[in-house]
Amino acid sequence: MSGRRSRSKQSSVSSITDDQITDLVSKLQHLIPELRRRRFDKVSTSKVLQETCNYIRSLHREVEDLSDRLSQLLASTDSDSDQAAIIRSLLMQ
Amino acid sequence: MKRWTTKREHQIYSSKLFQALCRSRRTSSSTSAKELHQTADRVLAITAKGTTRWSRAILAAPLTASTNMKKHKKAKVTVHTRLRKPVVNREKRKLPVVERKLRALRRLVPGCRKLSCNNLLEETSDYIAALEMQVRAMTAITEFLSRGEAQVPTDRLGSIGNM
Repeated sequence: MSGRRSRSKQSSVSSITDDQITDLVSKLQHLIPELRRRRFDKVSTSKVLQETCNYIRSLHREVEDLSDRLSQLLASTDSDSDQAAIIRSLLMQ
Repeated sequence: MKRWTTKREHQIYSSKLFQALCRSRRTSSSTSAKELHQTADRVLAITAKGTTRWSRAILAAPLTASTNMKKHKKAKVTVHTRLRKPVVNREKRKLPVVERKLRALRRLVPGCRKLSCNNLLEETSDYIAALEMQVRAMTAITEFLSRGEAQVPTDRLGSIGNM
């Protein structure tokens, strides 16, 4: 990983230091399910960043799909009378 | 960050979201998936109570009921074609791979385009945890609604007796 780090020394684009990036990356690694399993492997910086982006995008897609299904369900259900029951269930999960 | 994993927070968010969705259904005849997604994001951002940049950015963004929001995002992505162009010289470009990916990450987390590395970490972790909760909550609502459809007796919802 140190070899990779030395390449990103260009400070003309941004003032991020190599250490900051490494720090960010090692912490991100713990958040991404994909990478948590490989905690003791050395995962490259760019791989961690890539997986983070992929993970966020996949979460976005999941929410999109859920929004789709929910909007269909809401349209087809006349749930006014069930609303209270559903809210109660939600509060008891 | 821990708050996104508590049961309580999950309950609060899912019930608030459900109420918001029922409210919007009363005012307009149908809720598009986009509007629903937007509502889900806004309620999520409100739950953050203004403590994070991404939540403030979501609440500050203009409301749009059309697909413009998505197209807008795509347009912003293509601005960076100069980074994509020469595949061969990618490693020699002024912006190395890591920088590019950092930039991509910044674009994905709302309101973080110019954030420093350290703050970006905080925002990203919080945002990811919040998104995970959002998925769990919306899944729960979907399940309750689907269940409700199957179980409700016909005298309350006349037309559903066809199943």
